[in-house]
Amino acid sequence: MTAPQISPPAACATAPSAVAVEASCRLPVLFFAFSSATWLLFGAVLALLSSIQVYQPAFMEGCPWVTYGRLRPAAVNSLVYGFALQASFGLALWLIARLGRVELTSPLGLFIAGKFWNLAVTVGVIGILAGDATGFDLLEFPLYAALPLFASYACIGAWALITLKARTERTLYVSLWFVLASLLWFPWILSSAQGLLLGWRVPGVVQAIVAGWFGNNLLQVVLIGMALAVMFYFVPKVVGRPLHSQSLAQNGFWLLLLIGGWTGLSQLSAVPAWIPAVSGAANVLLVVPVIVLIYNLYRTADGEIAEAWKRSGVFRFVTVAAFLLLLVTLRNAVFGIGSGARYTQFTYFAGARTDIMVLGVFGLSALGALHYIVPRLTVAQDELPSDGLVDLAFWASIVGLISLAIGYSLAGLTQGAVGATADRNFLGEAVTGVAGHLKLVTFGYGAIGVGALAFLVNFALALRRCCVACCGGVR
Amino acid sequence: MNHGPLIAAGAFVSLAFSWAALVMAPQVQLGSLAPASIPNTSDVHPANRPGLAAQGAEVYRSLGCYQCHTRQVRQDALLYGVRLVDRGSNASTINLELPDSGRTNLVNFNLLIALAKSRADLGITPVAVPAVLAADTNVAPVLKEFATELKLLKQFDDKAQVVRSTSKTVNELAAALPVEVLERTGPDEAERAVKLLNDAGGKAELVIYNLGPDIERGWGARRSVARDFVNDSPVLLGSLRAGPDLACLGSRAPEKFAAAWKFASTNLASEMEQRLLIHLYNPRLVAPASTCPSAKYLFATKQPDQRFAGESLQVPGSDKPVYPRHDARALVAYLLDQRLDVGLPEAPVTKPSGPAKIAAAPAKP
Repeated sequence: MTAPQISPPAACATAPSAVAVEASCRLPVLFFAFSSATWLLFGAVLALLSSIQVYQPAFMEGCPWVTYGRLRPAAVNSLVYGFALQASFGLALWLIARLGRVELTSPLGLFIAGKFWNLAVTVGVIGILAGDATGFDLLEFPLYAALPLFASYACIGAWALITLKARTERTLYVSLWFVLASLLWFPWILSSAQGLLLGWRVPGVVQAIVAGWFGNNLLQVVLIGMALAVMFYFVPKVVGRPLHSQSLAQNGFWLLLLIGGWTGLSQLSAVPAWIPAVSGAANVLLVVPVIVLIYNLYRTADGEIAEAWKRSGVFRFVTVAAFLLLLVTLRNAVFGIGSGARYTQFTYFAGARTDIMVLGVFGLSALGALHYIVPRLTVAQDELPSDGLVDLAFWASIVGLISLAIGYSLAGLTQGAVGATADRNFLGEAVTGVAGHLKLVTFGYGAIGVGALAFLVNFALALRRCCVACCGGVR
Repeated sequence: MNHGPLIAAGAFVSLAFSWAALVMAPQVQLGSLAPASIPNTSDVHPANRPGLAAQGAEVYRSLGCYQCHTRQVRQDALLYGVRLVDRGSNASTINLELPDSGRTNLVNFNLLIALAKSRADLGITPVAVPAVLAADTNVAPVLKEFATELKLLKQFDDKAQVVRSTSKTVNELAAALPVEVLERTGPDEAERAVKLLNDAGGKAELVIYNLGPDIERGWGARRSVARDFVNDSPVLLGSLRAGPDLACLGSRAPEKFAAAWKFASTNLASEMEQRLLIHLYNPRLVAPASTCPSAKYLFATKQPDQRFAGESLQVPGSDKPVYPRHDARALVAYLLDQRLDVGLPEAPVTKPSGPAKIAAAPAKP
């Protein structure tokens, strides 16, 4: 298969062969793929355990290390930093090498930096469990984990940019715009937020605003950007057509960057009223770029969707992810402003946005892409060894996400109804009354964990086959 | 779009916009916010936390209580009212007692006029001056004003021929002072009424209605605002109410708790502290339906050796006492320090008519 865009032949003169590009990707990308999937499994298990505690308070009670208030942030940060960001590094490197027809700069260095990243995430998760969480959503890692995290990202990001600079295919395809924006956006927001929150320590609620700004940018721009990069790469590739419109993609891209950074603060209450208002307006405006981008993808694949769905595993993942992106953006537009925001404020409904974005929109895109990348880098085949496990990973993830989204949303709407009037019994209806919905959430995390496990097993089978092939001298 | 640096620059500009709007602008607006002084006292709100409560904030953060509890009370509307505290007395206060009526009706006419002006709905209707009053030189000018300017008041007590409003006389209205003569109106109307009543020689004050389900639930007297958190770092606002809001736990009335209870003694602060300690030890002992995890690890079962380790705690359903560790006492001190009963310029509350029921727990050495 070839990359979707037509490249000028002159650029290929010095371009490395596809085999050489893949060889340079093998170590770092497979490392990021494997460890991110491991963190996905780990994070899903922690999230599952903590979701049981919400309705079974006696579950794992009596030890401060696994109390809900520590287990839940440990789960979320494992999923975001261990799984999502790490997977996006692997995907970014692979996309840059592939679309830029260039060998990765310093694969070994990337591998070592990746090791340090994993070490930092491990230290951070242990820090949270030990009670050192900073108290800011999505920034809970204590300083002693956050600094190494930033340092290892600096290496990964710098090498990725150097690789991009050295590309032989000068045309920057749409996916690379998103990759580049995400790669730059992340260190800017991370250093800004860590500097202001853990270093300078801005006063009062400004802290909460800065933390909210960081968390939203991380989800809405960095991770959604990576998910879109994956979608824009695989949809044209699988259906075998060029992208419907370059200019639509361009408009969508810039609007997403311009608006995305403003959304997501409509959950703050004890702040000046203009902040949630402005943010709520951005939530609504964001519908425009998302629809533009997804329409572009839809037109690209129009007519071939059913056929591509049957034929390609990655297409299935990416299609569902794109659909989820549309849904979660519309959901934020309706429940992110005015009375809708007030109704769902402080409920599971609003909190589910993080889960749907990290595990759904990004998670499905990333899992799909990894299902495509891993077999090529290990056994040089198009598919992972076990088709059954691919199906299991897909369906388990989908079922898990649907349960998660429905469970959290129903629980949140129930809480919202109770919160909207003082006559309702808070403890009986909004706390114990949502246990049924939250059981669905537990099931959802379990299913997502099963999906991650299925992928990991498939990955391990591919690795084994790769080793056998290498040692047997067949390859 | 084939130039990486161009995209990088564009991304930087996009981010800079959102940074300027949502990081820099709030910092400019709120960065120099300072505690506000409470009128007529030397205190400020929010006051610096006493040492133990400040340590409790760290326990609150460390155990992740903010994952399930918000500390942000919301309100939907802010309305005003007027409370008449004193009828006052001035020259036009007259005794409307008529011969044989057996009634005494001390009426401050200026106040009556003021009330009529500020509250049409009281039904103080136009008056026809009874002959016996018209003769009184003291009263006549006032009544005249009443009859002509206001076009109000016209009803006599049939037998006694006493000047009456249709619903209530001023005396009836003011029989149980303080009385709220205006409820839930806009700020302008309320201020005008206060001025009218005060000018008429009465004594009136502004009443503030903070409205919304959170406040009706008794979770706080007013909404939380940015100034409430100027002493906090980290600021743990919380974003999920898997448990009740804690912004005002320290001054919450016992019947307003998720599981309502009652004070059994007069030592309110200490009773509240005991209650919260038992809640930490096992939430199901105070609220059987609670889903809050127990924090038994904050309690020792054996009496500690240290001299200052504190008193024992008698847990219901167990004859053995437990000994709260320092962290448990600190966390409770922090929770008792949560208060919203103090008004701020941007989030006013009505002065309570009596002394506050529950004082914040005294700091322990």
